[in-house]
Amino acid sequence: MQPFDPVNFRGQFAFFQHNPAWVYLDNAATMHKPNVVVDAMARFYQHNNSNVHRGAHTLSQQATQAFEQARDDIAAFINASARQQIIFCSGATAALNQIAFGLMHTVLRAGDRVLITALEHHANIVPWQIHCSQYGVILDIVPLTADYQVDQQAFTELLALKPKVVSFSHISNVLGHIQPVAQMVSQAKAAGALTVIDGAQGIVHDKVDVQSLDTDFYVWSGHKLYGPTGIGVLYGKTAALELLTPLFGGGEMISEVNFSHSLFNILPFRLEAGTPDIAGAIGLAAACNWIQKFNSEQVKSYKSMLLKQFFAGLNQIDGLDILSSPVHNAGIVALNVQGEHPADVAELLNQQTVAVRGGQHCAMPFFSLLGLAGAVRFSFAPYNTETDVATSLQALTQAVEILTA
Amino acid sequence: MTLDQLLTDTKPALSQIYAEDLPELTQAKDWQSKYRILMQLGRKLPPIPEKMKQPSLLVKGCESRAWLMHYYNQHQDQHFFVLDSEARIVKGLMAIMLSLVNGMSNTELKKFELAQAFDKLNLKPYLSQSRGSGLNAMMARIKDCCH
Repeated sequence: MQPFDPVNFRGQFAFFQHNPAWVYLDNAATMHKPNVVVDAMARFYQHNNSNVHRGAHTLSQQATQAFEQARDDIAAFINASARQQIIFCSGATAALNQIAFGLMHTVLRAGDRVLITALEHHANIVPWQIHCSQYGVILDIVPLTADYQVDQQAFTELLALKPKVVSFSHISNVLGHIQPVAQMVSQAKAAGALTVIDGAQGIVHDKVDVQSLDTDFYVWSGHKLYGPTGIGVLYGKTAALELLTPLFGGGEMISEVNFSHSLFNILPFRLEAGTPDIAGAIGLAAACNWIQKFNSEQVKSYKSMLLKQFFAGLNQIDGLDILSSPVHNAGIVALNVQGEHPADVAELLNQQTVAVRGGQHCAMPFFSLLGLAGAVRFSFAPYNTETDVATSLQALTQAVEILTA
Repeated sequence: MTLDQLLTDTKPALSQIYAEDLPELTQAKDWQSKYRILMQLGRKLPPIPEKMKQPSLLVKGCESRAWLMHYYNQHQDQHFFVLDSEARIVKGLMAIMLSLVNGMSNTELKKFELAQAFDKLNLKPYLSQSRGSGLNAMMARIKDCCH
């Protein structure tokens, strides 16, 4: 394991050499890719490209081996107990759709309940809504406390209604708040529910051990973990994955097909219809292998140091409404300039080459609850620098000046 | 407040924007001045009162919410508009757009090309794509008023 050196770390991303002017603080939307990821994908296409699992030829066998090695690497990355528990899909959205659809046919019946929280991303709301309304399943929402944390007391009370599935995010994509996931999983399990964790923001922040977390499902997108877009992971305990009716039918996922019926293949292939994103899987595995080379505690403490500096700077700027709490925060700060629309603030930052997101961050219900048009979101990564923090604070000060002049 | 009053108040604001602010905007030397002017522009348009903002007036496709009202003077073949947006920069840009098309005949409005007009005024570089798409959505809605 290497000690974490921020300059060396940032140096591994060609993006920053090509875009020296930009302060990139939109990491919660997507992260940049280290050269090892881009190289691994280029190498696959240039040297090994072939389809997997079906070729009679050696090239296909080599591609299959590389693809399945990626599965092994990712299984090890989250400490899954078996390789077939890693299902490749296009991202967290696809995974959540597969879970919502898949459980609706096997576990959930009319009158059953599913529990989510008021902090969820649309990807953990809409799939449930679509399928719940079709199957007569009731969707309950855990409300938030006054400081925008998931109300744990309400969570306990809603668990008493015996939901069959409880689905929540590891880390809020809007606020950066880290949920007490281990405790929530154990409570949900005690209530007899299957647990689903949306790890889109969580996987990059902390070492995730799915066995000690004991969750039934944990899903994430590769592109928010230094990996390529278009690939993601649906992790499930074997028994939980067996409960899923495949959302997609097609090649690879069957063992026998005739015109009257088909027999499904075994896991993981049953849930991976069609040619998978082979290069994407290889790229994502390269990202997982790469990040594990760094001391994760040092990475985390560097990021929290940046966050602390940023919060300290924000306190010097008048007229801000800061929505995120600095405590239990994974590096995301949502705020508003009082009385101003977030789109205006984000645009004035954009003019100063500071990349942030302004809007509702795929969490419209959350902002409706607050009666806000949205927020400006600054999200940090370990390749950000102290200069990035200072520059973004200056840019925000300038934006406030222009807006309130 | 009625649509008539809003139209009456909007017209002189647009003439002033066209005659005074636009030249000032194109000559502004740094982005700060440019954005200050844009935001002042937006303020010159009378806001549509909250209770008049019917859902049917909402223009979809914008990052921020925007509303459009329309009146066609049949005798003189002229289209007139009132618009509002909750974001100030967008409202400023929409005000410029409106200053170019307000009062156009049906044929003129049908032929109008937003990108070309903004290009001519050297304003195109100041439209980021996402904000551009909000403007385009508003322009599409304005064109929908043609017959």
